[in-house]
Amino acid sequence: MSESLRGKLATRLLGVGLTAALAAVTLVLAATDRLALYINPDSTWFAVTMAVLALVGAVASFALPLGAEADHGHDHGDGHDHGDGHGVSSRFARSTTGERHDHSTTGAGSTGEGRRGRPGSAVGGIAVAAGGVLATGVVAAIVLVPPATLSAEIAMSRDTGAAPLFQGADTVALAATGDTASFGIGEWASVFATATNPEAFDGDEVTLTGFATPAEDGFALTRLVITHCVIDAQPASVAISGGDAPATGEWVTVTGTIRDVDGRLQIEPASIEAVAEPRDPYEY
Amino acid sequence: MTVDTRPGRSRTATAVVAGVVVVAALLALALLSPFPNLPTRAQDGLTLSISVLIESLPFVMLGVVLSIVVQVWVPPGAIERWMPRNAWGRRAVLSLLGMLIPVCECGNVPFARGLLMRGFSVPETLTFLIAAPIVNPIVIITTHQAFGLDDGILIARLLGGYLIANLIGWLYSRHPDAGSLLTERFLATCALQEAGSEEAGGRGRRSLAQFVVELRAVMPALVIGSALAGAVQVLVPRDALLAIGSNPALSIIAMIALAMIVSICSNVDSFFALSFASTFTPGSIVAFLLVGPLVDVKMLALLRTTFRTKVLAGLVVIVVLAAIAIGGVVNLLV
Repeated sequence: MSESLRGKLATRLLGVGLTAALAAVTLVLAATDRLALYINPDSTWFAVTMAVLALVGAVASFALPLGAEADHGHDHGDGHDHGDGHGVSSRFARSTTGERHDHSTTGAGSTGEGRRGRPGSAVGGIAVAAGGVLATGVVAAIVLVPPATLSAEIAMSRDTGAAPLFQGADTVALAATGDTASFGIGEWASVFATATNPEAFDGDEVTLTGFATPAEDGFALTRLVITHCVIDAQPASVAISGGDAPATGEWVTVTGTIRDVDGRLQIEPASIEAVAEPRDPYEY
Repeated sequence: MTVDTRPGRSRTATAVVAGVVVVAALLALALLSPFPNLPTRAQDGLTLSISVLIESLPFVMLGVVLSIVVQVWVPPGAIERWMPRNAWGRRAVLSLLGMLIPVCECGNVPFARGLLMRGFSVPETLTFLIAAPIVNPIVIITTHQAFGLDDGILIARLLGGYLIANLIGWLYSRHPDAGSLLTERFLATCALQEAGSEEAGGRGRRSLAQFVVELRAVMPALVIGSALAGAVQVLVPRDALLAIGSNPALSIIAMIALAMIVSICSNVDSFFALSFASTFTPGSIVAFLLVGPLVDVKMLALLRTTFRTKVLAGLVVIVVLAAIAIGGVVNLLV
């Protein structure tokens, strides 16, 4: 394969190719109802729309002859590189003194044959190639490796000791009215951490599902709470007093009663039942 | 050109069919995902990288589309007519452009490249790039949701972002040779673009070419940046950073380091920062909210497509120093 053909193919692979692969992953995840493993379902429509647009663009780009994007669309002959490079760099230059000659060479170098002669361009070329290989490898892994949820291990390593306060004062106010049917671990963790009148919750019955993480006595029932996408995932947990602590990372449904123990809220379990990891393992 | 002749047309049809086949193959591979899962830590790193990519891909697409619009479809002079003449005024207006085009930081890079190709100067474009991720409606709303007006965090973030952007624009406007701030690859793209615009017809074709070129420029950087962000998250122990949270000076440094590592979209970083608010000083939260959108690892990889390394080093130094200063002032006042 000639060097220039390889370059043209690389342009397509690293641009449109990587985009199409990621768009395909997005659409497959959305179609199989697993996009929520990565991003907040609120933005599914945006991700899907743009992924469709990306694939349409990718198909259309096949109609553009290979290398045409680096063409001017019409024949300029051989002299074009130097002239255009010069024009552009002078456009961006404020002063026209001194280095004019230097940067016009730079501009021309990157568009074509001038490049090979410059010192340092070999290193640059290797770095670009290595970056391209790395990016392609990462995207290949994304396509080929099945989707997964974050591990309990990472949830524990992210525990800052402070509850994530996504819900804020509204939730605590809502909780005080007793309307807690829709509460998940994220909401309860906020309430447990911030309630100024813990005794008001004493005796509330709750049923919560999450995975087990170690705690001082008993264990903690934990979920990762996501605002936007998994990279902002933060653990929220509620203390479960007593009962047989499940293995770390095991998913369980706990039914129990909230108890106020010296101002610290915890859940006294009535039953702890092992369950399979739910399809929507995160809370939003 | 052979596009309009009969054999050319059938060649185009063949090419499009080939495109459909390739896309179908990609969809099938993604559906089958024939490989096993990776070991826990590597899988977590990959999962984090995927989430950043899936999250930012739509914004990058939007940025590319806007860049095509600005480049190919908006007539010459249509934007320029509305700009003030004087350099300060132009930068001040550009730093508010993010209010109209809320594309989030990943989409800003292709859009900014479109502005540069259109003839906006390097300092003006930098001003837009730095201001837009912070001074934009979505970020203002989410920051307000998270912090309200407590501790002046929202106001410090907005004013700080605006000031840093204009400071950077001013500093780089004093650079004697702005062309030398750009990468060769980008200058080459501009050269092609400039020559291409002489051509009268073929807007569809030029749009397609721009689509190919912009994605080629942005995607590898985005993938590598996201992979880095994912890897760093599973490798750097978070407790090490958090141990120093309550010290007024050290906490600012720690939150800046965290911001550069975690690479969270500026739309939502306030919620992330909120969970640190109980242990960290308000100034350090402001520093986090200023540094993250501007110079985190993912953003630096994206900026590298267009600006030389020395510019990135300059941006990091200026943004970090400014964030320390602004965070310090907030800590003193609150």
